[in-house]
Amino acid sequence: MAELILLWLKCIILYNAVDAVFEDQVGKFDWRQQYVGKVRFSHFDTHVQSSKKVIVATENNVFAALNTRTGELFWRHVDKSGPEGNIDALLHHGQDAILVVGNGRLLRSWDVNVGGLNWEIVLDSGSFQKACLVGQQGTVKHVAVLKKNIISLHYLSNGHQKWIENLPDSETVDYQTVYSGGNGEVYALGIVPHSHIVIIAYSTDDGEIIKQISVEAPWLSNIVASCAVIGQGVLICVDSATPSLYMYNLNPNMDDLQMTQIPLQSLGLEVAPDFQPVLVSHQPNSAHQPLSEFFLQLGPDNFLLLQFNNGQIVTLRDFKPALLVSFATTGEKTIAAVMSPKNKTACSINLFSAETGRRLLDTTLIFVMDPNGGKPEKIYIQPFLKKDDSVGYRAMVQTEDHTLTFIQQPGRVMWIREEALSDVVTMEMVDLPLTGTQAELEGEFGKKADGLMSMVFKRLSSQLILLQAWISHLWKLFYDARKPRSQVKNEVTIENLSRDEFNLQKMMVMVTASGKLFGIDSKTGSILWRHYLNDVPSNAAFKLMVQRTTAHFPHPPQCTLLIKDKDTGLTTLHVFNPIFGKKSHVTPPALPQPILQSLLLPLMDQDYAKVLLLVDDQYKVSAFPSTKNVLQQLQEMASSIFFYLVDSSQGRLSGYRLRTDLSTEQIWEVVIPMEIQRIVSVKGKRPNEHVHSQGRVMGDRSVLYKYLNPNLLAVVTESTDTHQERSFVGIILIDGVTGRIIHEAVQRKARGPVHIVHSENWVVYEYWSTKSRRNEFSVIELYEGMELYNSTVFSSLDRPHAPQVLQQSYIFPSAISTMEATLTEKGITSRHLLIGLPSGGILSLPKMFLDPRRPEIVSEQSREENLIPYAPELMIRTEWFINYNQSISRVRGIHTSPSGLESTCLVVAYGLDIYQTRVYPSKQFDVLKDDYDYMLISSVLLALFFATMISKRLAEVKLLNRAWR
Amino acid sequence: MWHRERILLLLAFVQSVLVVGWCFTEMEAGPGAAMSTQTNGDRFKIEGRAIVPGVKTQDWVSTARVLVDGEEHVGFLRTDGSFAVNDVPSGSYVVEVVTPTYRFEAVRVDITSKGKMSNVLFHRARLVNYIKTSEVIRQPYPLQIRSSGPHSYFMKRETWGWTDFLMNPMVMMMVLPLLIIVLLPKVVNTNDPEMRKEMEQSMNMLNPNPELPDVSELMTKLFSGSKGSSKAGSSSKGTRPAAKRRGKHSGASRAKKLSMQNNNADLDSWDQ
Repeated sequence: MAELILLWLKCIILYNAVDAVFEDQVGKFDWRQQYVGKVRFSHFDTHVQSSKKVIVATENNVFAALNTRTGELFWRHVDKSGPEGNIDALLHHGQDAILVVGNGRLLRSWDVNVGGLNWEIVLDSGSFQKACLVGQQGTVKHVAVLKKNIISLHYLSNGHQKWIENLPDSETVDYQTVYSGGNGEVYALGIVPHSHIVIIAYSTDDGEIIKQISVEAPWLSNIVASCAVIGQGVLICVDSATPSLYMYNLNPNMDDLQMTQIPLQSLGLEVAPDFQPVLVSHQPNSAHQPLSEFFLQLGPDNFLLLQFNNGQIVTLRDFKPALLVSFATTGEKTIAAVMSPKNKTACSINLFSAETGRRLLDTTLIFVMDPNGGKPEKIYIQPFLKKDDSVGYRAMVQTEDHTLTFIQQPGRVMWIREEALSDVVTMEMVDLPLTGTQAELEGEFGKKADGLMSMVFKRLSSQLILLQAWISHLWKLFYDARKPRSQVKNEVTIENLSRDEFNLQKMMVMVTASGKLFGIDSKTGSILWRHYLNDVPSNAAFKLMVQRTTAHFPHPPQCTLLIKDKDTGLTTLHVFNPIFGKKSHVTPPALPQPILQSLLLPLMDQDYAKVLLLVDDQYKVSAFPSTKNVLQQLQEMASSIFFYLVDSSQGRLSGYRLRTDLSTEQIWEVVIPMEIQRIVSVKGKRPNEHVHSQGRVMGDRSVLYKYLNPNLLAVVTESTDTHQERSFVGIILIDGVTGRIIHEAVQRKARGPVHIVHSENWVVYEYWSTKSRRNEFSVIELYEGMELYNSTVFSSLDRPHAPQVLQQSYIFPSAISTMEATLTEKGITSRHLLIGLPSGGILSLPKMFLDPRRPEIVSEQSREENLIPYAPELMIRTEWFINYNQSISRVRGIHTSPSGLESTCLVVAYGLDIYQTRVYPSKQFDVLKDDYDYMLISSVLLALFFATMISKRLAEVKLLNRAWR
Repeated sequence: MWHRERILLLLAFVQSVLVVGWCFTEMEAGPGAAMSTQTNGDRFKIEGRAIVPGVKTQDWVSTARVLVDGEEHVGFLRTDGSFAVNDVPSGSYVVEVVTPTYRFEAVRVDITSKGKMSNVLFHRARLVNYIKTSEVIRQPYPLQIRSSGPHSYFMKRETWGWTDFLMNPMVMMMVLPLLIIVLLPKVVNTNDPEMRKEMEQSMNMLNPNPELPDVSELMTKLFSGSKGSSKAGSSSKGTRPAAKRRGKHSGASRAKKLSMQNNNADLDSWDQ
């Protein structure tokens, strides 16, 4: 009962405390962009002629339908990330889409129109090879799934299994593909590498083996890579060694044991050296046979359209140079699309009749390649029949940088989706540059005084400039107001970018896993620049640093991206201008050694660029920029530059100090025994964080001082023993300069993943309690006590007293994806924790709920201190979701950045989607609210004014009358 | 104590069942291909149905997902609102249906395989209680999860209307005396000397209680701060016994000041 009352009390208190989003603020300060990831499979919905859908299955385990007119999502289904949700195959038939998920774990059928699930079944274990639709007598009713050792047939309507058969000799034969030509048979094709092909024909009706044959093919190692089925069931393979084509008729009444060889030379063809030729065939409808025309790729830019005709192979057309080819079918017509390079920046796409190889008239489409993008990788064609029965088409081009571009004839780009943004790794928010007038004003304050008169004159002139700007702004407003709304364009371009009054608009510099960098305007979400780095290794780790902000005017702002190959440790630097995205002319140093650690020092060189220190595996330090000035400063500062290294593979944390000759010496080492626990993460504080109040005022008017150690590191460890009774999570607070262990806490019967936020004088972390099967939050706060040891400056080397440690834990009713704390300009505003939930919400939880001083018994003093009574369970209220119904899938990170207003913190959440908004943890105390009622206040003022006038007049009349009396 | 023992026993039981399950699957693993597809090794499924009363399923299923223990296992809703999360090992899970528009309660589902060497499943659904984790309030299985309405994401704006303004107690308190002041002289004949006397008496009664703090005095103290001015402030009202109140008030105002400073210094105050 008492609990209930407490809960109720809490509710009442919270209701006042929380600032949620108001309904009229929707979309005012926030925006969301939804992505799907790098496309793996894509089909145009051809079920209905006027369909606007293209369905895509991606490498991020997302299955979605896009609108071909706008590029927006119709619907999207996000499966579990990792190999368990991996989409192995996508088959499309009518309004059903069949997916094989998780290495053949599940078979799903989706309704493409609604975006709902038709059915889902669990497949038998075994690693998935291939799936295909199986037709019979012109209709498709089944889907065949081939696994390593079994083949099964399922009904399309409900997923039920029609039959399942063990594949013979599956230990020796590698079954790789399955084919059906619509004649009541399903062929499983397997191979014993460099020996023979095994072909098994199953009856669609009952799974009976009709024929089993092995054909010698000692030159073949992989069916999928070098074979295709064409025409009336002819298996055609290409061999680069001989070089020749091999053919075999799959029809059961033929009983050859040899493949027919056709040397490529006899066709007058030649394979490019060191190139594995590829065959591309096309089966327009699974109930019918594939086309007898196919593409043969003989070189990186050489394709041939060939036709198989009565045992003969005829060359229909030679395409050279050609980058990409694709078949597409509309109605009865099948066309071949070929993309060929036009010049350095553009490609042209042309259509050819698949049957004859003749070029179709008026089908040229120009695709202009982005000089900052990647090369085209795949092309998807959506053909349609025009009224005069000619073929028109649209094309979707996928490039190396995961961009999807949808183009219409004759080259109009309908939409572009930057799917690289589905995998943002790290980001920074950079202030926009000042405009000319703003810079003029700022310049006035920077310069030293040069006489009273000139100062006055300058002041007046700058005021004049301001007035001028204001008048022109008003004029523009007036001018725009007369025009119809649709014509007014308020587009942001790089040219008119400038800082706004409160620095609320910033440039979001985003680094994606594919190596593409983006500059996004935080106000509108429009991409202002993009830059694709070609040579980024696939397993790279990134670190983005702002070396010079926009504050040092003639010098351009400068960001440095550190790209580290995770395997070799070799690192490259990319230096660029964050506002324009251009590569800087500053040449970064070559780094021949693997880099262990990087530090951005507060030191600046004469060009106001912060100094970046890089520590290599010989513990040698190199500086960037490394001018004489910098080296001199470093020598002076060397004794106070410390850094730490983490070697999680050996459980070692070590601290180093810089020597004047830029070598290092180890000053401390902490070894965490590897047999028992391993280091999961090490978190320091954010360097741009400010703490306003040094302490907290207690109920009895004394002050409890915070322990604000800027060098404090929070080390999270997890036990290697994962048994639920013995697993634990440990947290160690270490001073990064001295290596002194400030505090150590162990959460027994707990396991990760641990999410941690380290800020001010507190550490908040979240873990899974295996004992109670729930997520728990724990908070540690550090206090110096009632007296401050040295109030002017904090030094790790001179802090004799150990801090007081307070800790409290709470139950959290949901798993969490990521966590971050709000950040403001001066740190006066109270802090909130921003918690990304798997449901897609971002919860803004006031830090005061995670306060270890929350009392169990309410006293007068705790009430005066505004402490909330302790309750074990934290609540999730949907009013606290800063993104209301704009759920963000798979939140991986939340970036917080201060704005020019103390009350306002800019938030960017990224994962599969990107969401940007502003939060006001202590409400908007420094600016009028956006719903401020100007009308009311002015009408009240006016009313009062008139009332005084009238009453004054009345009083005069009354006085006069009295005087007359 | 008894509870704990029971839990331990239960755990032991679950473990033994698990072990048995593993043995069982290993034995089955060999020919595996032809066995029924109902359960795949020691993997089970969670079934149920989500209902949003009064809304067509087609309108919301495409945005819905079923999350089991966070994103540990993910299921999707069929076009009729039913769902099945496949491939879940035995254990205890929190199952929730997540949509951006509708709210569903989470349910805890315990899966244990019952009995030895058999594949009979035992599903139990119950309300989620994170505080008393062993408490069991049974829910139907297969799950029937009914939406309790749309999510409320937004706060109501404080709108300004004449009725709100007039119905405000402060305004009522202001308006009523005004009416009395204006109307009473009209109703009552003030020229009658007896009446006037009576009224004067009643006015004396209305005089504020001397124990209550005076607003103007408090304000002057607040702004001047020093003791000297507090005297000046109180002296403006000469009729009341001031000496007693003076000390009290200055103390109170000081406390108030301090607390205000407090608020300014630390914006954590949550009942603003």
